[in-house]
Amino acid sequence: MKFKLGFIFATCLLASAAMAGESGTALKADEIKVEPFRDAKTVAKLATGDKVDILKKDGGWLQVKAGKQQGWVRMLSIRQGAAGKTSGGASGLAALASGRAGTGKVVATTGIRGLNEEELKSAHFDAAQIKRLDSYTATAAAAGSFAKQGKLQARRVDYLPAVK
Amino acid sequence: MKKIIGMCLLSLACGTAQAASPFEQELFKTLKQSVQEKVQGTPSGATEEELAIGQQIAGNLLGAAPLVKDDRLQKYVNLVGRWVASQSERPDLVWHFGVIESNDVNAFAAPGGYIFLTRGLYKLLRDEAELAGVLGHEIGHVIRQHHLKILQQSKLLDLGSKAVARSVSNNDKVQGLIGSGAEVVARGLDKDAEFEADRIGVVLSARAGYDAFGLPGVLQQIGHYAKDDGDVALLFKTHPHPDDRLGKLDVSMSDRFDSVKGLTLSKRFYKLK
Repeated sequence: MKFKLGFIFATCLLASAAMAGESGTALKADEIKVEPFRDAKTVAKLATGDKVDILKKDGGWLQVKAGKQQGWVRMLSIRQGAAGKTSGGASGLAALASGRAGTGKVVATTGIRGLNEEELKSAHFDAAQIKRLDSYTATAAAAGSFAKQGKLQARRVDYLPAVK
Repeated sequence: MKKIIGMCLLSLACGTAQAASPFEQELFKTLKQSVQEKVQGTPSGATEEELAIGQQIAGNLLGAAPLVKDDRLQKYVNLVGRWVASQSERPDLVWHFGVIESNDVNAFAAPGGYIFLTRGLYKLLRDEAELAGVLGHEIGHVIRQHHLKILQQSKLLDLGSKAVARSVSNNDKVQGLIGSGAEVVARGLDKDAEFEADRIGVVLSARAGYDAFGLPGVLQQIGHYAKDDGDVALLFKTHPHPDDRLGKLDVSMSDRFDSVKGLTLSKRFYKLK
């Protein structure tokens, strides 16, 4: 039993990641808990649109700070980032870099660029690339030992129900 | 030995027990597949037309956006992807994974086991669990044959027909089935297919031992791109908004994964310069 607890604790540590500095917005009303468990004591309540600072992530939970309150909230109740990551997008520098300024046609070739429908439509089969792709294929056995190296353990998880 | 087979058959019958050793797991999978084939008539290997169509789409897509020239990256993605695909009901497909040269944030699947993600999407990822979640979503499209069903609906393709299987031996005819170039990947699937692939992505990565919240983490990041950002234009056109996808996952996942701890393997994650 001691071993098991130790293992669970170790995996918890591995699963958590520091995310200091990120902000988030509540996608729906939810409660901030004192610990990352559903039945833990509630510290504060969040309303849709409330801003939080994200301190770290642990599986399906985020440790957040909202005003003076600190605690854990379900990850899926929060959208990370307070606002749009970029504004203007395709009309600014980003469009120039991706060779897509103006009408959506490719006007410049900068080597790396975005993929739009026209480019996809006019694409031609590249046999050499398929050959290269084939050369990277991993066997099930190789992937199995790779998983083992990372201490990944296969487990049974049922498919999730669809929701309307 | 007899006892092991007996145990596997028993777990097959009640569908809840878990085989312990890798050997037993393999045996369990093999038995399950052969039963599935007999019951549903769905072979786990790819059909001739599925492979021909998939390879044509993959080759065309690579014609538009070639593989990133980084052998270590490509091999790493294939190992992670293959491990996740091994947790699906089609572990015997020859699965191909590739990171392609594009700043767009997107990922694509083609029939038969071809999966691609862009450099732009890869650079958003923070750990191996997130990569597993993204690949799991695309694996979901392949195992549920979402693209084939679209082609079928457009009456271009009659799956399982001997005549089609014969006709697809010719590259030009395969191209005729999928339209122009790789436009089929720009066409988009219906919303339900995307939500289904999200659920599969979460489950397959959890089965593989990863933190189940990898895919939701990526969706949260994509969610704060502005709608008019060119890098996500095609993704947003062909998929429901990330906030809707998160909302659906929230209801489906509920508290099912609260006690299922998994690994993120952020240290092993291959960082792209």
